[in-house]
Amino acid sequence: MRKIAMCLGVLAMVSLALASGAWAQGSDIPRTPSGHPDLSGTYDVSTLTPMQRPRALEDKRFLTDEEAAEIAAQELQRNTARQQDSDPDRGAPPAGGDGSAGASGNVGGYNSFWIDRGTGAFQIDGEWRTSILIDPPNGRMPRQTEARMAAQSAARAARGAQVQRRANDGTAYWLEAGLDASGPYDNMEQRPFAERCLLSFSSTAGPPMMPALYNNHKRIVQSEDTVMILVEMVHDARIVRMNAEHDPPEMQKWLGDSIGWWEDDTLVVETTNFRDRPAYSRGSKNMTVTERFRMESADKLVYAFTVEDPTVWSAPFTGEYAWPRSDNKVFEYACHEANYALEGIMKGARVLEAEFRGEDPEGVVNPTR
Amino acid sequence: MSKQTRVMCRSGLAALVLAGLVVAVGVPAMAHHAFGAEFDPNRPVVLRGPVIKVEWVNPHTWIHMEVTIDDGSKQVWMVEGGTPNTLLRRGLSRDTIPVGAMIVVDGYQSKDRSARANGRDVTFEDGRKFFMGSSGTGAPRDGRDQAEPGR
Repeated sequence: MRKIAMCLGVLAMVSLALASGAWAQGSDIPRTPSGHPDLSGTYDVSTLTPMQRPRALEDKRFLTDEEAAEIAAQELQRNTARQQDSDPDRGAPPAGGDGSAGASGNVGGYNSFWIDRGTGAFQIDGEWRTSILIDPPNGRMPRQTEARMAAQSAARAARGAQVQRRANDGTAYWLEAGLDASGPYDNMEQRPFAERCLLSFSSTAGPPMMPALYNNHKRIVQSEDTVMILVEMVHDARIVRMNAEHDPPEMQKWLGDSIGWWEDDTLVVETTNFRDRPAYSRGSKNMTVTERFRMESADKLVYAFTVEDPTVWSAPFTGEYAWPRSDNKVFEYACHEANYALEGIMKGARVLEAEFRGEDPEGVVNPTR
Repeated sequence: MSKQTRVMCRSGLAALVLAGLVVAVGVPAMAHHAFGAEFDPNRPVVLRGPVIKVEWVNPHTWIHMEVTIDDGSKQVWMVEGGTPNTLLRRGLSRDTIPVGAMIVVDGYQSKDRSARANGRDVTFEDGRKFFMGSSGTGAPRDGRDQAEPGR
């Protein structure tokens, strides 16, 4: 009788702990009433640590405290320099472009106060990391398959038969092949998904989900049968169906088909069924991405991912980085309503084409010219 | 290893790691759209005048300003900036760039020849950046500067 009473007492204590959400096996992470870690909340995933380790560091996976502090200090120094006053009497930038590369395309970007890429390296289990990638052990992407490289060469050759994309020189260069030649701005559906507000860029939703230049917040809402991950960039929301089967392979989705399950205290999410051009643009529709979410502490989630695609890479690769909890909110992105850029890009191409044909398109007076 | 050498090694490593980043601030490697597709490198502008409206919207903020051209007539120009989310999170709003504030913008006119430009560098008329005063990200009270008083 005494044993039964003792068992009932223990059961009551466990039930109480479960109901309060405070039950934990040697840790203070929040839990749901069913005992799983409660990942619900907002996370700021920005980090200065790069995806791939600089080659010179070879197998050096960790930073010392001093090295991590130095990285943060250098970034602070850069930010401070960027905040210095500009010349109030400055003139226009150089005609012909400022030489900037990438998305800035020879015309420059915008002030650094719009940017929020983090202030330092990240730490996992007390260790500062030199790269997000941890496997291969050198922190570098595995080699692409011969077949993939051959396919890319063939695609380049095919493009060569058409118009070669050029750096932005302010001309309708694609018409050099003929006034009827096709170009990169003929149709809005040629434009990248992000430009059309269809998908986020820099694989912020992925999967795998990567840090970006800004809008690095994620919000997780968790229930027993579904986990939702809201991504601040553009407006992607990933839906993970728990303890479910994948949809049939012919059902391909923008963000793939994600199913999840718990392995002890780790949420495992497997995603397949990608489209031809997945958000993680290096991959293909044949990718399988396995993500692992675990709470290192009440304030920090560790996000890990393994990507396998034997049609693209000679080996799988794995990365991980820290997602500290944030008191901030994920603000609405509402991309379409003010997407003036797409209109400007399409109209701009028509104007340049008219110029190429020798016409003199109308426009406002440029006060600087 | 001398202290100086150690410092150099540390700095070298930090520089290496930072160099591994795919971005260089001020020159977005990835953005919602390629600025190079929208703006014309052959049409540089420098614009001076008062702010008349701020569209605090995604994917990019647009600052409207009035510019007086040589013949004395006035034009309204739209200047493209970054996402407002970053600034909203730091407690800033479109009121931070008040209507009537005199600003200077340098950038390039849009290829469609409309009165639009990218805000390559946007400052107050005396050259000050909009959001100074923190050793964190450049925004005041962004919570990353422990030395900053009272959030």
